[in-house]
Formats: sequence, structure tokens, C-alpha cells
Amino acid sequence: MRTTKTIRMAALLGALAVLGTEGIAAQEVARVEVTPATLSLEVGEKAQLSAEAFDADGNAIDVPFLYFSRGGRGRLAVDRATGEIEAFKGGEYEVMARVLGPTRISGTMMVTVAFPAIDRVEISEGGGRFYTGVTIRHKATVIDRADDVRDVAVTWSSSDESVATVDRFGVFSALAPGDVTLSATAEGVVGHIAYEVADNPVTSMAVEASQARGRTGDVIHFTATASDAGGGAVGDIPVTFGLIADPDKVATADIPPAEVDAMGRFVAYKPGVYTVTASVPGTTSHATVEILPRHVTEEVTLVGHAPVRNVSTSDLWVWEGVDGRDYAITGTHSGHGSTYWWDVTDPASPVLTDSLLVDARTTNDVKVSEDGEICVISREGASNRRNGIVIVDCTDPRNIEIISTYDDELTGGVHNLFIYQDHVYAVNNGTRFDVISIAEPATPHRVGRFELDTPGHAIHDIWIVDGIAYTSNWSDGVVVIDVGGGDKGGSPENPVEIARFADIGGATHAAFPYQSPTGKFYIFMGDEIGAPGFDGQEADRTPQFMSGYIHVVDFTDPENPEEVARYEIPEAGSHNMWIDDDRLYAAFYQGGLRVLDISGELKGNLYHQGREIAVYKSYDPDGVVANAPFTWGPQIHKGNLFFAEYFSGMWAVKLQPRRTLIP
Amino acid sequence: MIGRPKAALARCAVLATLTAAALPGSAASQSYWVYVAAESEDEVALLRYDAGGDLVVEKTITTGWLAAEIEAPHGLAVDPAGEFWYLTLGHGFPNGRLVKYATVADTVVGVADLGLFPATIAVPPHGTVALAVNANFHGDHVPSTVTIVDLETMFPIADVVTCTMPHGSRFSADGSKHYSACMMDNQLVEIDGATLDVSRRLDLVTNEPAHAPMDGHMAMAPSAAENCSPTWTTPHPDGKSVFVPCNKGDLILEIDLDDWRITRRIEAPGAPYNLDLTPDGSKLVATLKGGARVGVWDVATGELLHLVDSLMRVTHGVVATPDGRYAIVTVEGIGGDPGTVEVIDLESGARVASAHMGKQAGGIALWKMES
Repeated sequence: MRTTKTIRMAALLGALAVLGTEGIAAQEVARVEVTPATLSLEVGEKAQLSAEAFDADGNAIDVPFLYFSRGGRGRLAVDRATGEIEAFKGGEYEVMARVLGPTRISGTMMVTVAFPAIDRVEISEGGGRFYTGVTIRHKATVIDRADDVRDVAVTWSSSDESVATVDRFGVFSALAPGDVTLSATAEGVVGHIAYEVADNPVTSMAVEASQARGRTGDVIHFTATASDAGGGAVGDIPVTFGLIADPDKVATADIPPAEVDAMGRFVAYKPGVYTVTASVPGTTSHATVEILPRHVTEEVTLVGHAPVRNVSTSDLWVWEGVDGRDYAITGTHSGHGSTYWWDVTDPASPVLTDSLLVDARTTNDVKVSEDGEICVISREGASNRRNGIVIVDCTDPRNIEIISTYDDELTGGVHNLFIYQDHVYAVNNGTRFDVISIAEPATPHRVGRFELDTPGHAIHDIWIVDGIAYTSNWSDGVVVIDVGGGDKGGSPENPVEIARFADIGGATHAAFPYQSPTGKFYIFMGDEIGAPGFDGQEADRTPQFMSGYIHVVDFTDPENPEEVARYEIPEAGSHNMWIDDDRLYAAFYQGGLRVLDISGELKGNLYHQGREIAVYKSYDPDGVVANAPFTWGPQIHKGNLFFAEYFSGMWAVKLQPRRTLIP
Repeated sequence: MIGRPKAALARCAVLATLTAAALPGSAASQSYWVYVAAESEDEVALLRYDAGGDLVVEKTITTGWLAAEIEAPHGLAVDPAGEFWYLTLGHGFPNGRLVKYATVADTVVGVADLGLFPATIAVPPHGTVALAVNANFHGDHVPSTVTIVDLETMFPIADVVTCTMPHGSRFSADGSKHYSACMMDNQLVEIDGATLDVSRRLDLVTNEPAHAPMDGHMAMAPSAAENCSPTWTTPHPDGKSVFVPCNKGDLILEIDLDDWRITRRIEAPGAPYNLDLTPDGSKLVATLKGGARVGVWDVATGELLHLVDSLMRVTHGVVATPDGRYAIVTVEGIGGDPGTVEVIDLESGARVASAHMGKQAGGIALWKMES
């Protein structure tokens, strides 16, 4: 068998020979030497490397090289063509000289850049007044003169060990009254922090629970009060909370039955009796609470199914039409550019009223204006690659008509959008959202846009409530933006950032705000994390799998948002969500549709707290993939819970109290 | 046709002789293997065409990180040794990626980060690096880059700023030069294969050497009458010229590399998009994206030899087989149309085989020809 490889090489070599073209023929290279083989530099110094190629007999061959250093990015500059290097930060770097020719042979050398002297040592805690008996850990950050954070040994010391000691981990223990300075030394450079140690005045402790009895998932606040001999409160002594757990049932290797944090916030996962201790050196107190089961589960009844079995279904929107009847619109994914309208006035019998085929493969997002007259469809995969949005008159969902399209600078594809007060906020695949006025829907035009300035920023979704936009930005997390409803002077023409929060997962895909009756303002941030499709999944036969969870962030103080809880389903990943009346309706792909009780304050992993009201997995034997729940997005409407299923269309279910007695 | 190629006839004669000596005879038992990317399906199809027989989808390889998002596989290249193939994924977070597969089992063996919506890639004959044009279809008309990736380590060595919406990444036959076109700046950009720096630019509207587009300034589209919107580059195997289609000008330009000027304009009605030349340099094949056709020209004379209607709309990619007998063409289709791959007999101009695959068949690379 003779293959193209042979043919191509013969043709190439022949062409080079006949035409005399100067080629890059390095097939004879047997060895590459880079000189110098090792090199020592100071930060800021430059040097010239030189590579030479040799054949098997040791003869030099004139070939071009490509120089680079994988480990040196941002630390050692390498001119790829000339081999000149410049040191920016200390370390050891391998520089590779790759022959630009038909060989995989390369040469390497090592550059050692001397670490510059340490510039400063920064200590994590702030110093100040401290009481005898108290311990606290400090951390030191060592930074050199190249502004490089260094991993070097730090030696801790106390200026007066009769007053306080410090161990090798930076754990500081106050022993006796007096002034003391804690020092962290790295390569001769010292960071200091000063304390004034005073006698521990606490003679008594009291701890009080915000409620004596609760249910799993309830957040109970334990407030500790340390008092001196005179009965005065000592408010500046750190209190350590502990937990003595006695769950009703004990199973081997189960999850911890409850948790309490440094602020005294307690939540239980298992019913039982729990004692929280509050301690300061020499004094401890405790309070005990009883935790009962949450008992929130409800029954789910299937109401109706609007089957879409020829193509995958994406988002949905349900609304009351101008004629007073109820309608739904569903988009499609990786299909033929279709969108479907349904009459769901009787959700038990959805009726397809109209459909629209546009030049696209995916109409991922579908939204309806507040007055129910304008539907907007996002486009991806248009044959002309211009994509953008389609604006539709859906006053009569039995006779929908395209009013206009808008694709100016939306060529990357609009993946998600939101309609708010005559404006479409369109997420252009990639980096930003555009604000498009549809006050005159026949002549849409851009009035504003918003884009982050972080390196590698990317946006996925947008949701707007009361003039505040909540955008989901993968590794940049959620960004809250004033588009007219905030106090930052924002408008559709001039969106202004209010706050942002990035969670540890870096995969923020959807966000939904929730003003809790408790006074807390939460943002639910959903991940989207997938298993790579490289392992032979067959899309037509195999259910697909996603991972990731919902992060619950307390945004009550937008200047100091705090992630307080998570909702994580084992073996399933989060997608779109909806919140109404203390309930989270969440699509969890292969984990189906989940309904979660989010009443009260939230803390911990909500999945384990008995907060799940219902789980529904829709199985359609005639679906695009048979019997494969892959729940895309929910919406509650007039007491019915509608949701889109990727493989089988739109479904409606109803929740109702359990008819079985709960003890 | 306007103008006449410099010594084109003589060059082609030399190359024809060369090719006849270097290539096997035109046995009817040849098999041709191609990889084709389905941009709206997140999959790559491996197809085999047995000369005179059927075109068969041998295998479908799913790709991407998120099953629920389309990541748009776009550009394909096979390394000269045939051991690996390379695929660009257009959509990322936000940057795209270059994925390296081993042909032996089509398994992933490496990944490199690229820029915004990387489109086509080119691997020079020596197979050491790949140059991926970051087309940045996301809207802002600002200068983008070509990413240079070391293929052994899959390390992205550098991003070379070229122009707005670069497309059509191709190396010269000897690997000494790389070419790409700037869809929004109407430029042809040459990168030196040794230094991997931009060496020359040509304004394809004024036919004058050009400067780099100003950073931070939106590209201003010229008037429709003088717009080119070049979408591809195909260097002639003799190393003396490069062909560039004007997608909005219904022309294919031939640029003389010595003069660095356009020396010929070949009429190509129907929005020419991608090009390829037969290895002997005698025939030029272009997908006519707007006309849903494929055109075949005689390079020496500029004569249109064949105009072949495609089965579906939006013709996209094309490769000529190493023996010069066939052109294998991808057709995107529209909406729910399946992607289509068609085989055109370059002698007769007949479509001799076709096969459907995933939606929006686009990037194509020939893996091997077997006898």
C-alpha cells in the first residue's frame, strides 16, 4: 500500500529540486545543540542563545529554529526567531529550540534566573489588642523585588516569649499581658505585626440560640456573650464555636449531621439533638437545640406533554397572551432553526398553534415582551453567519409574523437574551451583551452594550429584574449591572456595573436573583460543566451527562457578597432555573426537574437538608433519545410547572400536598 | 479573465512532468480518506471514497467539552506524516482551542488554547507548527491574530497580530511562507516561515503594499463596488503565486509573489469562498458559496472548465486529491439540511459521489490516498 505520505514527500522533494526553491529540509537532522547549555542570569538581563543542527555524521546542517519556553510564559521572554532571551522573574526555565523542518528533534538548554532579593513580607492578620490564652494563626506572603510571590521558608518569632509565643505555622498564643511583636522572616527580610496582650477578663460565657427547635435546613444563630467579673460584655475576644451532635439515626460513613461556622451560624442535615459550644480561653458555655425533619415533599402529577421528537428542545417561555389565553414558545437546539408556539390554556392538552423556521440551526433562547405582543428568538448557525435575533409579532400565536431581524455585529451568534421595557439584551456569543431597542420593532437598533474588561472574559446569560441585570460570565461569575433600576445612574444606553462575585467553580452559566422574605437578597449562580464529548458518546443513542451545581450567594450587602450555600445533585449538573414564592425550580439535565424549598435563611448544602420538595424525571420512549431526561429549563405559570426537555419537548406538571400522612 | 500569468504554461509543464514521475499511475483502485468537520453538530466525520465507487462515512467522532453547547469545529489539518490530525473549535470561554488527534484511533492527544473563534489552520510540510487564524467572528472589527502552536508540545508560542477577521490559513508548498486573508481589511498577509513574523501585506483593493490595520480602530468596509472580502489563500505549488478569492467581488485573484501585485483576476460569480489547486498546479477549484456550485478553472489559461451544481446550498471547503483526479467538496446546507460531502471528477466535471453527514459540513482535510 502506498499512502499520501509517500506521495506528498516525493512530490515535495522533487519540486524543491526541480524548481530550486529554498526549502526547509531538515530530514537529516540527528541532533540539536543549544549553546550555552546552561546559563545564569539576573532579572532584567538579556542573553543570546544559539542552536545548531547536526546530521548522524556530526556535520552541521543549516536549518531555522523556533525558540520557546513553556514554563517561562510571563517570566522569561524568548524571541522565537532569534533566540534572544530576557529574564523578568526568577526561576529555572527550559528553553527549547525546535527545528523548523520535517523532524521532531529539538534541543534544550536551562536558564537559571537568580531570584532577586526579598522585598517584603506581608502578614495576614492586623494586630492590635489580644487577650491571654487566645490563639490565632497568621500567614505570611513573601514578595521579591521583581514583584514575584515567592515560596520560601518563613521563620516566625516573638519579641517576648513570656508574653506570647508563635510556632512554625504562625500560630500565635498569648500568654501574659504586655506588648509583643510577631515577626516573620524570609531571607533576612522581616515582616512585623504588633500586639498588645492584656489579661483575659472573661469570667463567664453565655450562649443563646435564635430558636430552640427547628427543622433540617433551618439556619439557627448562636450568639455568644463573654462577660467580665463586673458583668460587662467583652466584645473583642474571639469566640470558638463547637458542635456536639446526636442525630436521631446514625449511619456508617454518613455526611456530617450538622455544621456550625465561625459566626455561630448552625444548620442541621439530620434530625436530632445538637449542642453548640461557645468558648473563650478558660470559659465555655453551650446551648442545645432540637432538630426535626423538614417534611416538605409534595407529590408531582403529570399534567401534559407537548412532544417535540424530531429535534432537541431548548428554552421555553410561557405567558398570558393578549387574548387572555395562555401560550408557550419553545426553541430548538442543533436542529433546523424552528420555533414552536403552543396554546397551553389547558396544560393537559397543549395545542401547537404555529411554528417558524428561520435560517439557523439553534434558536436557543425565546422570550416574550411584558405586554405579550413581541416574541424574540435568538439565532445560531445561520447559513450567512450573521445570526442575531428575529423579532416576531406574536399578538396572535396562531398567526405569528416576522416583523424584523437584527444581526449587526451579532455574528458570533446570540445564545441568550432578555426583553425588558422595549429593549432586547442580547448575549453575543463570546464577550458582551448588546442592548437593542425594539420600541419600534420594525426598526430595531443598538443603543448600548456592556463588556467586562477582565482577561479572557466571556458571557453566557442575562436576566433582568427591576432594572438590574444579572449576567453570568463563566470564570468572572455573576456581574450585577444597573440598566435603569439601580442607583448607579445606569440605563439601557449606559449599563453600569454594581457588583460582581466569582465562585470557586469558574463555570457560571445562569443566575437568578431572589429577594427572600427574611430580608436576605440572594443570587443563585448555576454552573454548567460538561464531560468532554471526546470519549465516543453517540448523540443519538446515549444520554449525555453534565455536572456542576448551584452556588447560593448572599448579596444583601453588594459590596461584600458571601457564598453561603450550595445545591448540588450527585451525578447531575445544573442548567436553567426559576424562583417563585420561596421555591427554586431547577433543571438539572440528567437529574431531571427539581423543586427546592428555599424558605428562610440558607446555609450549607441544601440537597442534604430535606429541602427537596419534588423531583420529576420525564421519560419519553419516543424522544430524540429514548427515555433520557435532560431537563433544560423550568417556568411556573398559573400554578402549573412547565419545563423544557432537551430530548422530548415541553412538559407540564403540578405539585400538590402529599396525601399520605406524615408522622 | 484579465491579464495573463507569468510563464504559467511553462511552470505547469514542469510540474506536470514532476508529478507524473512522483505519483503513482491513475489506477482506478485508489481510495481517498478525508476528515470533515460538522460545525453545527460538534462532530467530525471520516469519509472514504473509492474511485468509481461510493463515498462512505467510515466514522463519526464527537468533539467538544460541553454536550449542551455547540463549540463549532471548523478548521482541519492533517500532519504530513499522517499520524495526527488537528481541529479548531470556534466557540470557547470565549477563546477557541486546537485539538490534536491521533489518526490511529481518532483519540485526543493534546489541546492548545487559541484566540477568538479560530477558523482555518495550516501545517507546513515539515509538520512542526500549526498556524491558526483567529477569525473572531464575534463582531468587533479589530485586528486579530494568528496563533503559532508547537505541535509536539501543543504549546501556543505566540499570537501574531495580522488583521481583522483573518481567514484562509495556508502554507506554501515548501513551508517557507504562510498566507492568510483579512476579510474585513481586504489584505493578503504573508508570514515568513522561518521567523514566523509578518513579512508583507498587500491591499487587495488598491493592489499596493499595505500597512498593518491600526490597532483599536474598527475596520471600515470599503464601498461595495471595491470590496473584496477575501476568504482564502492557496499558494501555487511552484511557489510563484498565490490565489485569493474575493467573496464579495466574485473574483479570484492571482498575486505574483515576486512583484507582490495582483497579476490576474479570474471571474468567479457566486461568492467564491475556499480554493484548492491540484498538486500539479494545473487546475484551480473553488467553492462558490453563494451559488451553491463548484468551479474548476484551467490555471494556465484561466478558462472555466466546469461549473458544477451542488446537491445542497452553501458550498464551503474543498481539497484536490493528491493525484489531481478529484475535488472533494463540503456543503454546509441551511438550517436542518444535513452536511454533504461531494466528489467531483475534475476531468469530466461530473459529481461522481456524495454522502450526508452532520450539519454544516465545513472544514476538510485529506488524510491519505491508498492504492
